[in-house]
Amino acid sequence: MSDVAISTSGVRKVYDGGTVALDGVSIDLMDGEWTSIVGPSGSGKTTLLNILSCLDSPTDGQVDIEGTAVTGMRQDRLTRFRKEHIGLVFQQYHLVSYLTALENVMMAQYFHSKVDGAAAEAALEEVGLGHRKLHLPSQLSGGEQQRVCIARALVNEPSILLADEPTGNLDQENGRNVLELIGKLQEQGMTVIMVTHNPDIAAMGDRTIEIIDGKVSSDHRTKDV
Amino acid sequence: MLMRILGKSLARRRGRIAIAIVSVVMGAAVATALMAVSMDIEEQVSAEFRQYGANLIVVPQSDTIDVGFPGVDFGSVTEQGYIEEADLWKIKRISWRNNVLGFAPFLYQVVSAKSASATSNLVMAGTYFERDVAIEDTYAPEDPGVVTTGISYINPLWRAKGKWIEAPDDEASAMVGTEVASKMNVGIGDMMTLTYIPNGDDRANSTSCDVTIVGIVETGGNEDNQVFVNLQVAQGMSGREGKVHTVQVSALCTGCPVDTFAQEIEGEIDYVEARTVKQLVSAEMATLENFEAMMAMVTVVAMAASILGVTTTMTTSVIERRKEIGLMKSLGAERGRITTLFLIEAAVIGVIGGIIGFLVGVFLARMIGLSVFDTAVATNIILLPVAIGVSVAVAVLASIPPVRRAMQVEPAVVLRGE
Repeated sequence: MSDVAISTSGVRKVYDGGTVALDGVSIDLMDGEWTSIVGPSGSGKTTLLNILSCLDSPTDGQVDIEGTAVTGMRQDRLTRFRKEHIGLVFQQYHLVSYLTALENVMMAQYFHSKVDGAAAEAALEEVGLGHRKLHLPSQLSGGEQQRVCIARALVNEPSILLADEPTGNLDQENGRNVLELIGKLQEQGMTVIMVTHNPDIAAMGDRTIEIIDGKVSSDHRTKDV
Repeated sequence: MLMRILGKSLARRRGRIAIAIVSVVMGAAVATALMAVSMDIEEQVSAEFRQYGANLIVVPQSDTIDVGFPGVDFGSVTEQGYIEEADLWKIKRISWRNNVLGFAPFLYQVVSAKSASATSNLVMAGTYFERDVAIEDTYAPEDPGVVTTGISYINPLWRAKGKWIEAPDDEASAMVGTEVASKMNVGIGDMMTLTYIPNGDDRANSTSCDVTIVGIVETGGNEDNQVFVNLQVAQGMSGREGKVHTVQVSALCTGCPVDTFAQEIEGEIDYVEARTVKQLVSAEMATLENFEAMMAMVTVVAMAASILGVTTTMTTSVIERRKEIGLMKSLGAERGRITTLFLIEAAVIGVIGGIIGFLVGVFLARMIGLSVFDTAVATNIILLPVAIGVSVAVAVLASIPPVRRAMQVEPAVVLRGE
């Protein structure tokens, strides 16, 4: 039986102006599992991902990540916790345009602890971009940029990978490559939580949680563990 | 890595950074010019002070008579007055007498000088080199009855080659200024004949004396063009026995107003005026003070413009880089890291702006020196680190509001993939 990687209890998020984005979300995400979070636009799935990645705090409720209660942590402590435990993959990659692929990966090392050029190159090799390390983001295809983004998320060896629509901006082939890469990472033991609105991609995970109007609408296994 | 991020970030935004640097240059240039001009002109005024040696000049009051008819002004004539040598001891009778280090009388006249190889008209100054003066009526009973004084006491900074005239009764020796030595082609040990011709052309009543040059004086001032002899030599040649034109007084005046010395001397010798050297250079001082006040205002305005310019540029930069800041935060950059990044960027702008501002300021100072003070202003290199320091402080100060803004960037909002 797997341990719980992330546990939420009664998580509620109300934005300024009274919009309720999440309304009592209680879920347990298991260590080493790939969980897909699906739902229509505005359902609250990205808000949930932001809270799980410590980029945002819930208005109410409790979030425990790998046994640590992160709710109510001060901002700097939350930032430190995030860089120790979580890797982030964005739909729009968010690479720094004036830094090379290698430097983008090294920047994550710099903000984590210390820069290790060999480890950064190894991370790029792992995503199949060793030969493109000195290219600027503008010289890379969308798929390559997303792989740099994944390398940047991996380089500090987090235990949890949170991905927000990682294939949203990619064509089919590049999307498949990125998903294969994520699948490989999960096989290596990483917990993967991915927000997507594509049911086919969601089905690649072990479990799918559907959010509608800020609530868990359905939670079912897509694969047997 | 920090330097790599910083360097590439600055290079990419060089247009905007250039605007911030120009803002800093404005403030640094004006501040440098102000400090350069102030320091140099003050130094020049101080040098003038030092040339005097003494800090009080005593002169006789002069009667000025207006000349002309009613309604028709022909100007005025001033009668040459003298100070009685017999009254000089009274200078040591003032209440601040212990602060009077010494005094030296001067009697000036134009003489014709003849050396072995040249003839020229020169100013001869009769003075005390080193002389005991009896205090006829001491201020306090315990005061000494005799004081030793002379130009060697009041002008310790004069550089003299050879030796000073020591004996008060030495009427055969003279000291000359460096310009005189050069013009008359004389050195130490050479002879010179000094001839005084009354009224400029009354040769029948002229008087002469032969003197041996024992010392050559260099002060950088008028003294370099004069011949110095014992006072009685000048008095005897010109028939002005017992008279002097001026008295230079050296007053030690730390923590006391030198103006008070002047008033007390005027009280003791009622027909003289005592002027402080500060008054003599008051015009320059007033110009400098006015200039400094004006430049201080301009500097404040320029600094405010610099701060505004840098703040605006940095704020725009923060707005443009919101996603980058959000990304850094999401990757684990704490507040300190992001603050450091922006403040180093501000410091770089400050250093570059400070160096360029210093160079522009040097040029400005030269222009101001030539147009306002009619003198070439030399800029002290010590102002370079000052200009850089001030510029860095301005840039960092100006970056505080944008940095605060950067701190408020919420990664969840700016990185939202929707």
